[in-house]
Amino acid sequence: MAWWRAPEVFGPWLLLAAALVAAPTLGDDYLAYQLGLYLLYGLVAQGIALTWGRCGFLPLGQALFFGLGAYVSGLVLKAAEVHSAWWAAWPLAVALPAGLDWGLARVLFARRSESGPFFSLITLALAMLGFQFANQWSSVTGGFNGLGGIPDLPGFDRYTTLYWLIAGIVLAATAGWVWLDRMPLGTLWRAVAEQENRLQFFGFATDRLKALAFGLSGALGGLAGAIYAPHQGLVTPQATGFQLSAELLIWAAVGGRGNSSPYGALLGAVGIGWLSATLRQSFVYWEVMVALLFIVVVLRHPGGAVALAAPLWRQLARRNGDEPAVAAPAMPGGTDDETLAFEGVRVQQSGVTILDGLDLVISTRGVHGLIGPNGAGKTSSFNAMSARLPVTAGSIRWRGRCLAGLTADAVARLGIGRKSQIPSIFPTMSVRDHLRIAIWAQRASGLDLLRGRTQRWRTPLPDTLTAELPFLSTQADRAAGELSQGQRQMLELVLTFLTEPRLLLLDEPCAGLSTHETAQQLALIERTVASLRATALLIEHDFAAVERLATQVHVLHQGRLLVIGTLAELQADEAVQRVYAGGRK
Amino acid sequence: MEGLAVTYSLNLLYQCALLALVALGLAIVFGQLGIMNMAHGEFLMLGAYAMVVVQRVGLPLWLGVPLAALACAVIALVVERILIRPLAHRPFDTLLATWGLGILMRKSVEAVFGRGYQSIDHGWTGTLEVVGAPYPAYRLGLMAAVAVALGVLAWWYRRSPAGARVQAMVANPGLAEAMGLNTRRLAMWAFVAGSVCAGIAGALLAPLVRIEPAMGMDWLLASFFVLVVGGLGTLGGLLAGAALIGGTQVAVSSALDATWGTVAVLLLAILFLWRRPNGLVARA
Repeated sequence: MAWWRAPEVFGPWLLLAAALVAAPTLGDDYLAYQLGLYLLYGLVAQGIALTWGRCGFLPLGQALFFGLGAYVSGLVLKAAEVHSAWWAAWPLAVALPAGLDWGLARVLFARRSESGPFFSLITLALAMLGFQFANQWSSVTGGFNGLGGIPDLPGFDRYTTLYWLIAGIVLAATAGWVWLDRMPLGTLWRAVAEQENRLQFFGFATDRLKALAFGLSGALGGLAGAIYAPHQGLVTPQATGFQLSAELLIWAAVGGRGNSSPYGALLGAVGIGWLSATLRQSFVYWEVMVALLFIVVVLRHPGGAVALAAPLWRQLARRNGDEPAVAAPAMPGGTDDETLAFEGVRVQQSGVTILDGLDLVISTRGVHGLIGPNGAGKTSSFNAMSARLPVTAGSIRWRGRCLAGLTADAVARLGIGRKSQIPSIFPTMSVRDHLRIAIWAQRASGLDLLRGRTQRWRTPLPDTLTAELPFLSTQADRAAGELSQGQRQMLELVLTFLTEPRLLLLDEPCAGLSTHETAQQLALIERTVASLRATALLIEHDFAAVERLATQVHVLHQGRLLVIGTLAELQADEAVQRVYAGGRK
Repeated sequence: MEGLAVTYSLNLLYQCALLALVALGLAIVFGQLGIMNMAHGEFLMLGAYAMVVVQRVGLPLWLGVPLAALACAVIALVVERILIRPLAHRPFDTLLATWGLGILMRKSVEAVFGRGYQSIDHGWTGTLEVVGAPYPAYRLGLMAAVAVALGVLAWWYRRSPAGARVQAMVANPGLAEAMGLNTRRLAMWAFVAGSVCAGIAGALLAPLVRIEPAMGMDWLLASFFVLVVGGLGTLGGLLAGAALIGGTQVAVSSALDATWGTVAVLLLAILFLWRRPNGLVARA
């Protein structure tokens, strides 16, 4: 949507611009100078708002990247006084922190599908290490006393004109933040925070999405540091330490997360930061009170200060009319060889053998039933395919390609879609966003994720699905967490279909549904699998459902394949009867 | 030369014992309850300040240990009720809230005692001969205490009914509750126990380290590294982690300097998170 039609987007930005222009006129040059400093801190806090408020992982050592940018910038500015060729190195002040962040996130997130405390503590440790280095490496950093005598940025005077440069950068960064947030990439970041697993099953490499966000937050920190050096004329080890990191986080949190968090971060940094600088000396318990405020915000008011203004912006927000849809790129169709083959697959965990040499070949399209008593290894065979359980022996091949060592998202990109047993959705995101994300999955290139046009992508499939499941359009703006259990099951099934997989892994898609809903869900599966000309593996306890859809049924027992046949054949089979009657083979 | 080797190995052992002692509280809270207590280091810091208080008042120093345990128990009880329980299903916010708690404790101590370093004037400067090498008696006593404490704890965890209840809660909280265990109370006491462990560790460390409001941060990170490398949930993992982290720290620090020792430990932890996220000893 064009910006002039979204007052809730440009309104706050214009307000910020007006405030930044008006502020210096309210006081002397010193006021503008101080304001400039806290705006720089606000930039770093915006980076925290991006990773923590949006992507859901918490960096505790953000000052390191600020300090790194400041030291590099200070060193380059000093060197450039002697020889102007050094100017070429100035961009390093932004590039180094950004690169460091990106690389760190790639390494730390590569093997983990959650964000947890591990990442936070490593960043905290890095910040403390940075502080130690800055202190010790005095030949470069000036040690404890800091790197002094940093000249002005050419063309700017730190006490007067530099403020305008800072204000410009802040406005640009805020606009950039808001823009990214409204692009498909922003939607995906929010989804990462809510349900990372689901995104991986769609085929998104979530570790890359997170690394990108962290890299950008590092770039913001580095940029703020790069300006901080000539602004202060001095960089001390405190600029990299954990004290500043802790304060930055408090500012970001108290200022607020959510749609308005770039403003919240600035507000928190300027408001609390400035107050702290003046009150810290005179009032001993000031910082105790700030810490208390922080805890109260986390406990009672996670939205922070800007959340108070949110209803106002919502009033301004106009419903966007239906804009012309754009055809999404087509997915590659099937190939001749669509065979799934398990060969002697063993899965063991915590000393328990879950799959015990499973052999299973599925080479015809259509729905195949997968049944067996609890603990037979049905869901585990799915987990072994999508890298959720380690395969200790044997191999799983799909279209002749071995799945060993692939991550969940890479498996999904080979055309294997998965519907989980308990519907996995993004609870606070709208149904509309869910459908969008599923359409982007595997179709959108990195560049597409930065285009507003991608928001309007359509494929023929959802239209037919919407006709059958009206709630997809009538409740498009509702948060998926508010849907009924049945609707959530159907939503996740639809999402899995939208990626147009060649092989569908459906794990009890009718669990918790009423009789009527079950019939509807089964009809949906039958028709869609046929129209996609795909292969589907259906785990189901409801034999009537299996009978209706599957021509061939595979019975698993104790991690092995017991029998294959039609349901009627199996019901007559003695081995199957014994298994279901509780006997051992 | 032989004396040097003995001193060196004793230093290594001492470092490992220290790490195991400090990480024990976090191993209980993070390893068993899955709560990352970012204020772990601050509980330790409070324990050290308990010694400072006892010394200022002029009481016998050893009274600092029960005082540390008591203070940490009371604070942990309150914190569990106000912060941990309401956020039980929001682990991310628990991280933030305990981080805030850490700041609150740091700043409160700073407001009362000031930022400066405190020290404990203890008279325990005696040494003992170990295979011909003199070694500080207090350190030896500390190592023995850690060994005994861990042994008793392991025995209690495996053999006592309370230990069995905790194991049941960790393995399957829902089932444990269904069988009539009051998991909320168990979790509360586990949190208190972890915090008290940190406080006692702080009191015992007080004569050996610099005492200041921000001292907890280093110890939080050290404990965390021990758990990352060793793996969560087992005593074996705790010891293995303490040995590897302590060994690396001592080896690199003596070869280069302390900062590089920290770098080496950090790199080791990152390497583990990347290639072996479950640590050396995975929970059975």
